[in-house]
Amino acid sequence: MSAMILFAFIAGMLVTLSRQLNGRLAIQTSALRSSFWNHAVGFGALAAVTLLAGSFWPEGASGAPWLAWIGGAVGVAFVGGGSWLIPRLGAAMTGGLLVAGQMLSGVAMDIARGQDAVLWMQVAGIALILGGVFLSRRR
Amino acid sequence: MTPFAKDIDVATPPPASPGATARAPRPIEIVAALATGALLTFMLLSNSIMAAHTTPLFSSLTAHAVGSVVAGAALIGARLWRRGRGTAPPRPRGNVPLWAYLGGISGALTVMLTSSTANSALALTGTLAIGLAGQVVLALIFDCLGAMGLERRLPRRQDLLALVAIIAGTMLIIHARGMAG
Repeated sequence: MSAMILFAFIAGMLVTLSRQLNGRLAIQTSALRSSFWNHAVGFGALAAVTLLAGSFWPEGASGAPWLAWIGGAVGVAFVGGGSWLIPRLGAAMTGGLLVAGQMLSGVAMDIARGQDAVLWMQVAGIALILGGVFLSRRR
Repeated sequence: MTPFAKDIDVATPPPASPGATARAPRPIEIVAALATGALLTFMLLSNSIMAAHTTPLFSSLTAHAVGSVVAGAALIGARLWRRGRGTAPPRPRGNVPLWAYLGGISGALTVMLTSSTANSALALTGTLAIGLAGQVVLALIFDCLGAMGLERRLPRRQDLLALVAIIAGTMLIIHARGMAG
């Protein structure tokens, strides 16, 4: 269990590390180019792992709906956006505001899909996040 | 340093100004960040559907493959568009160190780790909450150091307060899902 906590913490740190590296690449090239390399290099690494311990066409792949296939296209804009933001806002505010956007849209999606959740906690969470975004604007 | 280094303008990224304090984000940057964060919600939904049909590894592999093709096509499109307008393609500014291309490795490792923690007692809720802590801690360290050639900036008091509020709100929302059903 404590190993899992450590793994989860490291996974979070790797998100920041990845964004920092992509941001560095972007200031010398472009946000789109850094997004391309992020995906291409990541694909190479995952293909190597798949070669060792996975299947390139697992059962069920043919039955996956189209929605399951387009995440990577959205990811290009996500990584590119992060690379554009990090030289402007720094790692901490970039991470914070991305999470804010993720949570606000996440709650909207949960409600739209009728996902079970405790409503007052969602409302309080949204209020805190909007308050945080507002605070970041103050000089 | 390659022998050609001196021929290329070594416009290394903006020098880390010692003790620089962060500025307030501009409205366009806030809108861009919130919209980009919303893309993540959509991306995770798509990837989780693929993972449910297959495996987390295959889901991430296909996401990276599709992302490479889409980004590659966009780069080619941009090049053709520039050629059509007669503008020169942009050249990399200065020498890009090889390690700056390794962001994708870090991203691939993240998938490996979270697919194991999300299936442990931590579940998705714990993975997200602890991951957020790890993300912010390292981000603050990177900002204070000016790590990897990005500008050094000390967070302002209101930046830290903003982060605390965003993290607290995020924890509430994550647990709002975890506690129901």
